Amino acid sequence: MKKTEYIKLIDTTKCTACRGCQVACKQWNEMPAMRTRNFGSYQNPPDLQWNTWTLIRFQEHVDKNGDFKWLFRKDGCMHCTEAACIKVCPSGALYHTEYGTVGINQKLCIGCKACISACPFDIPRFNQQTEKIYKCDLCYDRLKDGQQPACALSCPTGAITVGEREAMIDKAYGRLDQLEGKGIVYGDKFVGGTHVMYILSEDPAVYDKLPVKPRIPASVILWKNLFKPFTLIGMGAVAGMAALHYLIKGPHEVHENKEGDE
Amino acid sequence: MSGKILNMVRVTDPIERIAHWLLAGSCLFCLFTGLGLMFRSWDFIPALLGGLYATKWMHIFSGVVFAFTLIYAFMMWKKDCAFEPDDAKWIAQGGGYLWKTNNLPPVYKYNAGQKLFFWFVVVFGVLIVLSGLVIWNPLVFPTAVARWSYALHALSALVIGSFFVVHLYLGTIGNPGTFQAMTTGWCSKAWCETHCPRWLAEREKDPSES
Ligand code: HEM
Ligand code: SF4
Ligand code: SF4
Ligand code: SF4
Repeated sequence: MKKTEYIKLIDTTKCTACRGCQVACKQWNEMPAMRTRNFGSYQNPPDLQWNTWTLIRFQEHVDKNGDFKWLFRKDGCMHCTEAACIKVCPSGALYHTEYGTVGINQKLCIGCKACISACPFDIPRFNQQTEKIYKCDLCYDRLKDGQQPACALSCPTGAITVGEREAMIDKAYGRLDQLEGKGIVYGDKFVGGTHVMYILSEDPAVYDKLPVKPRIPASVILWKNLFKPFTLIGMGAVAGMAALHYLIKGPHEVHENKEGDE
Repeated sequence: MSGKILNMVRVTDPIERIAHWLLAGSCLFCLFTGLGLMFRSWDFIPALLGGLYATKWMHIFSGVVFAFTLIYAFMMWKKDCAFEPDDAKWIAQGGGYLWKTNNLPPVYKYNAGQKLFFWFVVVFGVLIVLSGLVIWNPLVFPTAVARWSYALHALSALVIGSFFVVHLYLGTIGNPGTFQAMTTGWCSKAWCETHCPRWLAEREKDPSES
């Protein structure tokens, strides 16, 4: 498969929280809206949902100098290279596309929810009615058609841009220079590099629901890299030992002297 | 009347055999469907059972049967499978299976190896059922609990699966005359003298038995 890896760069320093991307995503993917309840924030809906694949998180932040600041972060699938969700998916519903992004084929999904527990970013969402998983697929259908993702197209400030991997990483670090060191690039240093990157204005630890050191959970590595192969190795080894025992020692016969009548 | 069958001893009753095969059948079916969920390359398993979604549900139903049977089996066998001091001697000599020994302690109903298998199935059976319940409904548990349950479930399957192969060998071709204990329930007297001499002696003292 020819690999032209794409990265979506989200520059939070340019985001005005207009939520155009949120609406464009719903519209392009034909996802319904649902009634929500105000919980004391402009953030709406309160969290990602099966029908909301991207969400602007609104956060009130007071920095070290006591200055108040709004932080806006467009949350959604990070399209990991070492994707925990793909590693645990038993059906092959989750897969890497030729762009390095993580696609989802709902036809294959069996609704086991393993991906939900495994994802270090808490992204996949379950639909009770269809019993399937939903999440951002980085507009795979649009990429294939040479179009940019709906969210990127809709963004009025240029905070969301998509391009080839190397160019976007250069662009991210170039932007740091413009920000005179007041920014942080997030996404290239873990899980093999994500295909969604951020320019953050604050330390990653400051942001709601943003892991500082995301990685494939240790439990998933033990499960898939150790216990899974050893299920076959263990049963096979024991069967081999039993066969050797049968050939070398032979079956354990009952004491013959007691056979016959008595 | 059945006691009159020449030189044969009834070693299990029908309830015991039904419980054994329910436990073994549900466990094996769980293992079979579980391997279908574990290895994408073994897609002949879901193909045979009508798809992976159906396989998942058959696995869960079979797991529920396994869980209830395990409780019954535990109550039924826990007394005969309680360890006693002589079991250490039996284990130290490999039960006579691996090298020549001549002072194996006489066994009551089950030898120390069989007892070990029983307790492994109980302990890892409980773990596989509990972790299975969690990964059936992972969203109602904290993320860490759900994550470790997947690992625990796979580990328990590995342990039970490997012990099962030992059990299969020793219950069939490894010990001729043993398989009938779980089919007709009748074994030869010579078999009993080899495999459960103390139990046989006690039973022969009691004329009401058989
Ligand atoms: C109440 C009992 C049980 C329940 C509810 C249960 C549930 C589950 C579920 C939901 C999965 C799917 C996990 C996934 O898709 O990643 C699974 C996988 C599996 N189960 Fe069970 N199970 C039970 C008992 C058993 C038993 C008795 C065995 C057999 C010894 C077993 C062996 C397996 C195996 C081998 C897998 C595949 C694990 C993997 O993908 O790594 N389960 N089980
Ligand atoms: S963010 Fe989560 S759902 Fe998206 S690719 Fe990474 S592990 Fe998978
Ligand atoms: S819920 Fe669906 S997408 Fe998620 S791991 Fe299970 S089969 Fe794969
Ligand atoms: S890339 Fe497409 S699917 Fe993903 S958030 Fe943007 S519009 Fe939605």
